Amino acid sequence: MAESKNYYLICYDIRDPKRWRKAYKLLKGYGESIQFSIFRCRLSQRDREQLRWKLEEVLAEEDSLLIAGLCQRCVQRIEACNRPEAWDVDHNLHQIF
Amino acid sequence: MTITSTEALVESQETIRVNALHALNYCPRLYYLEEVEQLYTQDASVFAGRRLHVELEKDEDGDWQQFVLESEKLGLRGKVDALRTRGGQTIPYEHKRGRCYRDSNNKPQAWESDRIQVLAYALLIEAELGIIVPEGRVRYHADNVLVHVPLDDQGRQDVLNCIDKARQLRMSSERPPVATNERLCGRCSLSPVCLPEETRLAQGTTEQVVRLFPEDDERQVIHVTEAGTRIGKSGDQFKITKRDGQVVTLPSRQVSQLVVHSFAQLSTQAIYFCAEQEVGVHFISGGGRYLGSLDTRQGSIQRRIQQYKALTDSEQCLKLAKQLVECRGQSQRKFLMRGQRNADEHREALEQTIAQMQRTLKGVSTAQSTASLLGLEGNLAALYFGALPHLISDNVALGMKFSGRNRRPPKDRFNALLSFGYSMLLKDVMNAILTVGLEPALGFYHQPRTQAPPLALDLMEIFRVPLVDMPVMASVNRNQWDVDEDFNVQRDQVWLSDAGRRKFISLYERRKEEQWKHPVTQYSLTYRRLIELEVRLLEKEWMGEGGLFAQLVVR
Ligand code: SF4
Repeated sequence: MAESKNYYLICYDIRDPKRWRKAYKLLKGYGESIQFSIFRCRLSQRDREQLRWKLEEVLAEEDSLLIAGLCQRCVQRIEACNRPEAWDVDHNLHQIF
Repeated sequence: MTITSTEALVESQETIRVNALHALNYCPRLYYLEEVEQLYTQDASVFAGRRLHVELEKDEDGDWQQFVLESEKLGLRGKVDALRTRGGQTIPYEHKRGRCYRDSNNKPQAWESDRIQVLAYALLIEAELGIIVPEGRVRYHADNVLVHVPLDDQGRQDVLNCIDKARQLRMSSERPPVATNERLCGRCSLSPVCLPEETRLAQGTTEQVVRLFPEDDERQVIHVTEAGTRIGKSGDQFKITKRDGQVVTLPSRQVSQLVVHSFAQLSTQAIYFCAEQEVGVHFISGGGRYLGSLDTRQGSIQRRIQQYKALTDSEQCLKLAKQLVECRGQSQRKFLMRGQRNADEHREALEQTIAQMQRTLKGVSTAQSTASLLGLEGNLAALYFGALPHLISDNVALGMKFSGRNRRPPKDRFNALLSFGYSMLLKDVMNAILTVGLEPALGFYHQPRTQAPPLALDLMEIFRVPLVDMPVMASVNRNQWDVDEDFNVQRDQVWLSDAGRRKFISLYERRKEEQWKHPVTQYSLTYRRLIELEVRLLEKEWMGEGGLFAQLVVR
C-alpha cells in the first residue's frame, strides 16, 4: 500500500514526571516538540499506529492523550495564519553537516 | 551450500505458527514471503490489532488469559488471544478489526483465513490440555458480529490439510504466484515488497498498474562532511555534535541514510541504532571515493540463494547485461540528441556520433558474450564522452572544460564532478540493494575488479546519465562552479573542496527528488524511489516475473 504521510498534533497530559519523560523521549524519535506537551509528527499510518501502541504502553489510566490528524488543507492554513516560527517546516530531503 | 541444507532440515522440524496458517489462507505468496523468505513488515493493522487486544484485556474481569501453546504432534504453535470458560467448556476467541464475511443469504460468517486460524487454536488447546473444545469464536469489531465456528470433522480436516500445505510450501524453492483476487493486495502489508501489480503487468494479465509500491520516502539523507563531527544517539534521536560544540538532534524516523564523508565519528550506539532502525550507513573517503556500507541484512538467505542460482545461468546473465548496455547506451545517445538542439557549430559532429552510436547499439542485441558486450560498451562510452564536450556552452570558464573521461584520480574539474557523482550514485544503489536484501557481490555483467561490488556497478548503469551526467552538465553550463573555491588542484589531480562537495551533494540530492515517469508502468516516481524499484524489478527477473527491468531510458 502506498504509504502516504500526514501531519499529526500529539498532545498529552501526563501526571507523573517519570512517565512524562518517557513519553517525551519516545515522541522525540517521531517528530518535533513545538510547545510544552505538544508534538508535531509527520507519520505514515503504520508509524502512527506503532507510536500509539508504544505510547499506550507508557501511559497510565489517569493520563490523557490526543492525536489529531491534519489534512493538507489544514496544514496550509496553519502555515498561513501563524507566526512563522510556530510552524516552520523544513521540506528538505537531505541535510549536510 | 552446506549451510542451506542444514537450515532446511532444522526448519522442516519446526512447528508452524498459527498466524502463518492465517497468512497462507489469505494468500500463499504472503505466507511464503513471510515464513520462507522472512520478510516481515509490520503494517498499521498489525499494531492496531495489538492495541485492540490490550484494550480488551483491560475490560475483562479476570477470565481473560493468554496462552502460548506448542504441539509437536500437530506441528503447530501459537499464542491464543483469549480463552474463556463458559458452562464448563473452553472456547478460544479471535478478535478482528474488520467486518465479517456475508454468505449468499447475508448471514454473517468467518472469513476462511479467520476460520482456519481459530480452529487451529481450538485444536492446539485440545492437544495441550487434553480436553474437548466444541468451537471457536471470531468477533468482528467493525460490524460487531460474533461468529461461531464449530470444530467438527470437516473443521479438523481442513486445519490438518492446511498444516500439510504449509509444510510443503516451506520446502519449496518457488515463490508462489501473485493472488488472483487483486483486492487482497490492496490490503496486504507486503505489497511494496511483492509488487503484484508490476508482476501482472509483466505477465500481460493487466493493462494498468495501480500503484502499490510506495511513492514517497520522506526520510532525510544526512551527509556529514566536516571532519571531527560526532554522530551519536540520544533516546530515539540522532545527536550530531559539530566541532564547534553546536548540537543538532534529529528524530530517528526522519532519517533514511547517514553518509559519512572523511573522518566524522560515529558512535557504536549510533551504529547499533542504525541497524535496528534500518538506516543505511555509508562511507565516502575524503577524496570522494565510495568506501563501503554497513551491511545489516538478516535472513533473506532464500533470496540470495535464488540470486546465486539465477546468476550461474549464463544465458540469463547475458540477457540482463544486454538490457543494461542498451539502457545506458540509449540514454547517452538521447542526451546527446537533446544537446544537439542548442549546439550550432557542433551540430554536425554530434549528428555523426549519434548515428554511429545507433549503429553500435544495433550490435548489442546480437552480442554472443559478455566479453563482446564489454567491447561494445567501451565503443559507446568512447563515442559518448568524445562528443560530450560539444554540449558545454562557450561562455563556461576555461577551467571547467572537459576533454574526455579520466578517473582515479580525475585530471580536471569536470572529471572530478563526474567521479564524485558516481560515488554518490554507487552509495545509493548499494543502499537499495541492501534494503532489498540481495548480495551486492554477485553481479551478472561487471567482473569484480575494483572494490566496488559488481551488482551495484551493474545497476548503476541505468542511472549514470540521468542522475550524474545530466545534472553535472547543466550545472557547468549554468556556471554554478567556482573554479578556485570549489576544487583542490594538485599538479594534474583534482578533487572537490569542502565547499564544492557541499554544493555537489545538494545538487545531486535535489536531482534525486525529481520525478521520472516509468515508461512501462506509466507511473511517476522520484529517482530516489526508482532506484529501489529497479532493484526489486531485477529480482523479479530471476524469479520468473521479469520484463520491466532496465527500461528507464532518458527521453
Ligand atoms: S501483495 Fe497480493 S500477491 Fe503479494 S503477498 Fe500480498 S496478497 Fe499476496
